[in-house]
Amino acid sequence: MSTARISDDPEALAPEAATPIPYDEMLTAAGEVRSHYAALDSRVASLAGEELAERQRTLERFFLLQGITFTVYGGDSSTERIIPTDLLPRIIPADEWATIEAGLTQRLRALNMFLADIYGEQQILMDGVVPRELVLSAPSYRREMQNLYVPHHAYSNVCGSDLIRQPDGAFAVLEDNLRVPSGVSYMLANREASKRTFPGTFRSAGVRAVDRYPDLLLATLKSMAADWRPNPQVVVLTPGVYNSAYYEHAYLARLMGAPLVEGRDLVVHDNMVYMRTTTGLKRIDVIYRRVDDDFIDPLTFRRDSGLGVAGLFNAYRAGNVVICNAPGTGVADDKAVYAYVPEIIRYYLGEDAILPNIETYLCREPAQLSHVLANLDKLVVKAVGASGGYGMLIGPHASVAERATFAEAIKADPDNYIAQPTIQLSTAPCLIDGKIDPRHVDLRPFILSGEKIVVTPGALTRVALKKGSLVVNSSQGGGSKDTWVLSDDAEEIQP
Amino acid sequence: MMLARVADSLYWIGRYVERAEHMCRLSDVMLNATLDRTESAAQVARIALSAVGDADPAKIAAPYEAAYALTLDREDHGSIASSLASARENARQVRDQITTETWERLNLIYLRMTAPGAAKAFTDGSSAFLHDIIADLHLFKGAADATMSHGEGWGFLLLGVHLERAQLIGRLLEVCFRDARTRPINDHTLLTNVLRMSCALEPYLRRYTADVQPRKILEFLMFDEEFPRSIRFSTARIEEHLTGVSRYVEAASHGGPERLAGRLKARLQYADVENLTLDGAAGFLTTVLDECAAIHAAIYETFVAYSLEMRLPA
Repeated sequence: MSTARISDDPEALAPEAATPIPYDEMLTAAGEVRSHYAALDSRVASLAGEELAERQRTLERFFLLQGITFTVYGGDSSTERIIPTDLLPRIIPADEWATIEAGLTQRLRALNMFLADIYGEQQILMDGVVPRELVLSAPSYRREMQNLYVPHHAYSNVCGSDLIRQPDGAFAVLEDNLRVPSGVSYMLANREASKRTFPGTFRSAGVRAVDRYPDLLLATLKSMAADWRPNPQVVVLTPGVYNSAYYEHAYLARLMGAPLVEGRDLVVHDNMVYMRTTTGLKRIDVIYRRVDDDFIDPLTFRRDSGLGVAGLFNAYRAGNVVICNAPGTGVADDKAVYAYVPEIIRYYLGEDAILPNIETYLCREPAQLSHVLANLDKLVVKAVGASGGYGMLIGPHASVAERATFAEAIKADPDNYIAQPTIQLSTAPCLIDGKIDPRHVDLRPFILSGEKIVVTPGALTRVALKKGSLVVNSSQGGGSKDTWVLSDDAEEIQP
Repeated sequence: MMLARVADSLYWIGRYVERAEHMCRLSDVMLNATLDRTESAAQVARIALSAVGDADPAKIAAPYEAAYALTLDREDHGSIASSLASARENARQVRDQITTETWERLNLIYLRMTAPGAAKAFTDGSSAFLHDIIADLHLFKGAADATMSHGEGWGFLLLGVHLERAQLIGRLLEVCFRDARTRPINDHTLLTNVLRMSCALEPYLRRYTADVQPRKILEFLMFDEEFPRSIRFSTARIEEHLTGVSRYVEAASHGGPERLAGRLKARLQYADVENLTLDGAAGFLTTVLDECAAIHAAIYETFVAYSLEMRLPA
């Protein structure tokens, strides 16, 4: 068995002596403003604190008016809150984006090939590149998907990878989100908002447009059925209005011109899927589902699910409808499989990964387990199955008691845990209480894959609004900001 | 062709916004009239509260408190705040089907109604508060009219508006004139306020001058062809929009609501208005309200909750 990039020798895993200083998106280590931030910096400097605050209010009002909110229920009343959104865009120069784009394309191509292989011949398991039991025992592995035809081998049609920028300035992949990634509506809404808040700077900066995302998504979804239906009916399947990402589901449906359906709108008859319309039943060809695998079909997956539609999976198996993303993609973004992605890329494409992984220790390997247990105070430990910042231990910030409790949990079920060095997220300037202050950010670009792979030149930049915090998840007090990807021929920017 | 659930939601948005607007007007007229402590003011309060189905004597005696609850009480599913919340909740469920301009208007009204300062704004100036909501609801309807395609979804929205409107005006007239023979209403103030509750005072004056009489009010609010809140006007729109949305349904299945709406429209169009008596009007109103309820049920059965067996492909 080859685990080339994951050393079995614990000595080789020595963590860094001290936490390095994070990379700042705007300022060099010497405190100078990077050239691609110069225009924004001088524009912001020219505005008084009150003007900035006024723009921040305009921005928040835009989100509130659009209904880009979540509801906080408390007592007998409920209030609408917006997801905190920062005024200042994060800027990525063209050459850096070129690397990101190439790296993400390569990665998704390889992961789709991996999924096609896992749910087909399983050659990669026979060759011992990825441990067989790691894949086949993963909860996200769907036996039902075995030997099922997926057009273009595009299993993950919409992928939202989480990237971080390391202290040396290089981007690395923290997580591949191949299941039902969300956040793209924030990318689009943040862009709408920042065009209003910094129109002049935006115009002269040469920012690449993101507004084609909805039609590219529609084209991607249609390409999944084009073989057998000339003008396929595409729908967006949402769990409903109480889902926290409901705004996004409605937004994408509206911009694609596709009906937004719920499970109760669908009927399966003779292995065909129909929606209930005012004029009777209308056949559906492609379902962009924003419902997790477990809930799409109570006959095949969770029996207690009321969100999906009975018989959907059989219709899919029969080839009468396409489910996007395909069920079972989670096996390739599993936190343990993650460690093998560079190997997977090499195996299928014969290339080195353009975007590196974060160093990852698998607790299922005894040597790595003992290293993890010995260095709990320096590592971040994550439960393989969990996401959204839950089920994790941030070693340096945890108390001795918390670490001890977590150590027991790891020892009880080592297969379920991986560990990574405490990563340092880069920082970007944010407007906090009327002042500019750096906060940690990550980067979630969105990659579409159908007949071809397309990376939208933009991303959701998530912000940890609490000073010093590294947790960017919106469920835990994170916010977001617009991300400007500059085009190649951007002229020198005049403020 | 649109999702049955979506059609249902659009229909209910129409009903809820119309209901909210009507109740704002009732509350406003009631508060204004009861500033005078006269017998006719008490009658206005009785009519307004009876029209919303809550003629509790204690409430009639305390019109301000009644109006406050009618406006802002979220516990009461019939309040203006609840109606607007329901309209907005339905709009959220079909957010992909209505234009951003339309959504923004409704969302704004909702945010204002549920903002922490709403109670204070009402206390500081109930008339201005209610007036602003009515104006905003007009903006909502205007935005919908100006930005949404006037197709099927629009048809369901307006079906809701006009069916609700016909029922609200019908109920208001029923409450006013039900006991007309035993307790004739001749009070000028009271009659003027009934016209205000229907947003009909100015158009009425232009048509009949300041000669305000129960029979003419009935004639105007039931049978006027051009006044947008007359029952005849609403039933003509109901028939028109039902014909519109039925275009998309196979001929076999849409006999029900269209036929009912056509009959109701004809009933108002060809009524013997010259010989209308107050007594006859009461019976007529009951028929109209019953037929509106039947149309509502038929819409639901034809477009939303139809049986699947009939519609499965062969």
